[in-house]
Parts: sequence; C-alpha cells; structure tokens
Amino acid sequence: MIEAHGIRRTYHRRTLLGRTDVKALRGVDFELPNGGAISFIGESGCGKTTLGKILTGLESYDEGTLMIDGVDVAKTSGKKRARLFRQVQMIHQDPYSALNPTRTIRQILGDPLAMRASELGKPKSWIDERAAELLNLVGLDAEGVLPKYPHALSGGQRQRIVIARALTVDPEVLIADECVSMIDVSMRLGILKLLRDLRADLGISLMFITHDVATARYIGDGGELHVIYRGEVIERGPTDQVITEPVHPYTQCLLSAVPVMHGLEESGSDRLVPLATLDERVAADGCLFAPRCPFAQANCSTEHPTLMSYAGDDGHRHACFYPEPRRVVATELAV
Amino acid sequence: MVDLIVRPRAGETIDTDAAVRIRDLTVVYKTAAGELPAVSHANLTLRAGEITGLVGESGSGKSTLALSILNGVRAPGRISTGSVDVVNAGDVTTLAGAELRQVRGGTVGYVFQASQNSLNPLKTIGKQLLDLGRSHGVADPKSLIRRARELAEQMGMDADRVIMSHQHELSGGMRQRVGIIFALVLNAKVLILDEPTTALDMLSQAAVLEIVRQVHKERHLATLIVTHDMGVVAELADRLAVMYGGRLVEDGPALDVLRQPEHPYTAALIRAMPRIVGDTASARALPGRPPDLMTVPRRGCVFRDRCPLAMPKCADTEPQLVEWMPGRHRACYADLSDVTAFAAQPATSVGAAAQPTATATPEAGSDTVTEGAGQ
Repeated sequence: MIEAHGIRRTYHRRTLLGRTDVKALRGVDFELPNGGAISFIGESGCGKTTLGKILTGLESYDEGTLMIDGVDVAKTSGKKRARLFRQVQMIHQDPYSALNPTRTIRQILGDPLAMRASELGKPKSWIDERAAELLNLVGLDAEGVLPKYPHALSGGQRQRIVIARALTVDPEVLIADECVSMIDVSMRLGILKLLRDLRADLGISLMFITHDVATARYIGDGGELHVIYRGEVIERGPTDQVITEPVHPYTQCLLSAVPVMHGLEESGSDRLVPLATLDERVAADGCLFAPRCPFAQANCSTEHPTLMSYAGDDGHRHACFYPEPRRVVATELAV
Repeated sequence: MVDLIVRPRAGETIDTDAAVRIRDLTVVYKTAAGELPAVSHANLTLRAGEITGLVGESGSGKSTLALSILNGVRAPGRISTGSVDVVNAGDVTTLAGAELRQVRGGTVGYVFQASQNSLNPLKTIGKQLLDLGRSHGVADPKSLIRRARELAEQMGMDADRVIMSHQHELSGGMRQRVGIIFALVLNAKVLILDEPTTALDMLSQAAVLEIVRQVHKERHLATLIVTHDMGVVAELADRLAVMYGGRLVEDGPALDVLRQPEHPYTAALIRAMPRIVGDTASARALPGRPPDLMTVPRRGCVFRDRCPLAMPKCADTEPQLVEWMPGRHRACYADLSDVTAFAAQPATSVGAAAQPTATATPEAGSDTVTEGAGQ
C-alpha cells in the first residue's frame, strides 16, 4: 500500500541569467492499495517519470508525505528505509540498457537471489531453483535463457528478464515507466499481459507510467487513471470512466490524439483538433492549461482550479472551472 | 500530365497515377553467412493522391524497401534484382551521380527516422536549406527560402524562429516538421516518411499526422508512411501494405484490410493492439518473435513458426503474393474466412494462463516455447 499526499518537487537550474525553477511536481496525491493498479498519463515533461523515481527512492521530494505500508519514508533512514523501498521495484523503459551486458542471466538473477537466500535461510541450491521458477513465471524457458548474455535475447525477452529480476526480492509494487515503448509491436501485448497476470495471480500492485492511453487502459483495468499536466493531476477517476467520459479539456485533447482505426472504429463526434507543441507560457496564477485550452474563459488565466469532484461523484475528480463531457473517443463499429 | 506517368512495361496496363513502381525488388546484405535478403521480391506501387502505409516490425525490411526508392541502400547491402521506376526519372536503380541527386530531395522527399540525426547540428536550418538548394542547382535561393517559410507557417510554426534555429533548439515535433519542410521544399511528387511519429508523444504525433494529411492532399502527393504502429496507418492510410521477414505478405485498401485481414500476421497484429474501445480481454498476444536477417527461414513461409494456421505445405513452398480479389494481395495458403478457428487457437495457448494454477505461470504456452527457443 502506497499513500502519497501533496508530493512536490522543484528542480533548480543555473543559467546565465541566474536561477530558474522547474516545478516537476506541484502537489500530487494518490493511494495505491494492495493488488491495485494506477496509471499516470501525460506528455513528456509532465513529471510522470519524476514521480516514479520518487516512489522507488531514487529521487527526493521537497514537500508532502509518502507512506509505504503505513510508514512515513521521510522518518526512516539507512537499512530500514532501504528495506521499505525494496517493496517497490521499477521496470525501466529501455531493457537494452537496464541489463549489464557483461553478465549472464544466471548472474543477473543470482545476486539478488543470493541475498534473499541468506535472509530466508535457504540453501545455495535454492538460488537456481528460484531463478528457474521466476523465469517460468515471466514466460521464458529457463534452461535456454540462464547461460545467455542479454545481447542474445530479443527486446521482449529482455524486458521479461527485467521483470524477473524485479520479482527476485518479492516486491509488493511494480512501477513500469513506458515499459513497452521500445519493444516490437507484436510482443508488446505479451509484456502487458504478463504484468496484468502478475497482478491477478500474485496480488502485486501496479503503477503504470505512460503517454499511451490504450496501454494504460489495458493495464489499468479496474484501477484508477490519473492525467498529469505539468506536475499537477488535472483529472482522476476509474480508468474506464475517465476514458469514456472525460470532462477536463486536456484529457479530451489527449484522448482525441489517439489514432482512430478507420474501418473498425468511428471518430468521436466532438473530437478536438490536435494541439500545437508544448506551450511554455505560464499563466501566473491561473490554470496551467489555460494558454493551450480551446475552451478557456476569462477567469481561467487568473484563478487556479484545484481538484474537485465531478457531478457529486467523489471518485471522479477534475481541475477545471468548466467541466463538460465531450464525445472525443472513437466508438467501435459493429463488424 | 504525360510526363508524370511511370512508363509501363510490355503487357502492363497504363496506371496514370503511378508515381513509384517497385518491381520484383530484392535487396541483399553481405554477412558472414553469405548474402542474405533483407527484402525479397517485393512489388509495390505508390500512386499520386494515395497514402500508402507500410507496416512491419524491426527487421521486416520496411526501411530498406523505402530506402531503395532513393537507391540509397549502402554497402554491405545492395539491390540484387528488380527495378524501382520513379515518375520523371526512370529506373533509379540504374542512376548515379547528379541524376540520382535530382531524385533524392527533388522528385522524392524523404523524412528520415530520428529526424534530429538527419539535421546538421552545426548549421542553422536556413543554412541547411541553402545547401539543399545549391546541391540541386536552384537558381533562386530567395524563392526557396520563401517556400520553406510558407511551409513552416502552414505547419503552425514561427518561420523566422525555425529558419534561424539550430536543431537542438527545436522540440521533437518541430524537428519532424522541419524534416517535412526539407522533403517538400523542392516540390517533391513523392513523400516518404520513415517512422514519422516514433519518439513523439501523443499530442505531437497527432499534430504531425494532421500536417501529413494536409500537405498530402494539397500537393496531390504519392505518400508512403513506414511504421510499426498499426494505429498510425489506420488513422491516415488509404492503402495498407504489411511486411514480415523481408516479404510483403498483404496489400490492399486500408479499410478493407483492417476490417477483414487475409493474412494471419495482419490479423494477429491487429488483435495484439491495446485499444481504447472494446473489450480489453479480447486482445491476444502474438507468440514468438519476429525473425531477423539470420533467423528468417530460407524455405517455405517466413511466418509459419508463429502462425496458428500453419500446415505442412507452408514449410516447403513459400506462398507468393497473389491478387485474390481485385486490388487485394496476400501471400498465404490458409483460409481465414473460418474466423472462429483462427481466434480459438491463440486464445487457448495464452488464455490457459488465466486459470489460477498452483505456481501461477502467466503466459505459459506457445509464447514460452517459441520465445525461449529463439536463437
């Protein structure tokens, strides 16, 4: 169980003109229950990767509280903190650089397993048994893969190794940051399905970070979807509800950008035209999205909206003064 | 418009819209194991006013095929058989030097994969435009810059800023648009985009696709989009060609192919896409991995190892790309009309894992075996 409240992170950049602040996260709240799934979607630069790093302890935060299993991580240190963060494992985007090319798969899995064996008081033979068990679990043939080096495997196989390595320490949460974007299309669904099955069979919680709404939907079945814009969550709710009934204009822009499979799907009737590239302008006090928003009103650039519940439904929240459901998502044609 | 016609061979009907005609093209690469084909006996026609989507995974030969339209395959690769006729230029496989240069960037505009790597980091975009003009003997550089500015404005960019910028000062989406400017500024008839949206996020991708749609329509181009993303093609293309293991395996009008794929690979690719509508549980993973130059089968069908409909014949004789219906081609022996048989097979192998087992093995089944056995 992970609880995060008001997580903020600001990066300070030194430039010729002095110091500039980049607000990567501007107060993010969420709860990830045991066995749950949560997806964060947004453009590059929206802070979603920073969030993943904070949750795995690779990055610090300036404000807010982060609780893992009810323990405030800020109040722990040393071994205790390390043990806490071990519950949360990261699956990186690029399986080519996530594995050491000079070590065999047996060595890659062997090190964390040896540590685990001494913790659990298991004999040495357990290491190989467990490695084989994990490889089977991620859908690889253990005998064939163990003696190999990463270069001999395909992208999909490597990503499975990365997942197996994450599982060696029996984590409770897996964080996947764009985990299929570098994998061949025909093998992507296999990886996504593996993560889904790990959640269903082992009760591992998933946090999925992506810019691709369709993969977020596939992974986040029955979970929550958070749409993040420049460090701020601007809409959140049950995955299917946010996708079929988005009320924030930014969410609607993102969903309009999903290609329509002509022939199998029909465009949504309110589909929005694509936005230009990321606008760096900052409305000093107003809504962060106002400079790009096709529906912005006068007060949007002066007042800052915070998350509020939509139509009395506390599960579905948004940060917009003028929320309106629009039909931007394609509908399936009967074949 | 007579000069726009690709000259037909004896026995061929005149296709007045054909801007590029690839016939029986084979491209081989020299490796330690001898010369291996990256593209094998490919036939493809690009027509003016039509967007063709060429879909394939890495190693399918799609980029090599696109490059051969520029006669741009470099050693250790070479075009071993076939011809590529380009409008106004003849067979580019026989061209060299100045003649070939007129095709590259002149008649055929090419937007390269990873556009940031195709721009010179030391020169501003404006200077690179002038270089392009000089190499193509443009007499009036001012009009060239003017055309580039018009294109930039049309794509929603600040033209002054773009012309004065170095490539690192532009975002990914903007660099991709600059690539399109370079491709079109000399009034190309053919536009080729190699993975135009890889590495772009959703909103930039949608913007770039919209631009391609616009310039294609306005200039009546023959456009080829090379991609691994079926969604991009489904959104934009009029015609869909699917490549696997160096072969074109299916080709036809995009709507028809998407609705009723006639090659098991195309069908499996469509089914393996996570989508934002429909039942997520109906998506099916494709077992195995795509072959590369070394692992592609030398005999028989290249897809048979991953095919749910493979039969003994597939191992012996390679199916040829045949026109089974006017306008639609496929290279397969199997009967896909029996959709239930096809859908049931991958469902049992992957779906078996959904049942809780003692050891909980997600995705046991064919994926385990084939993926692990690869190499």
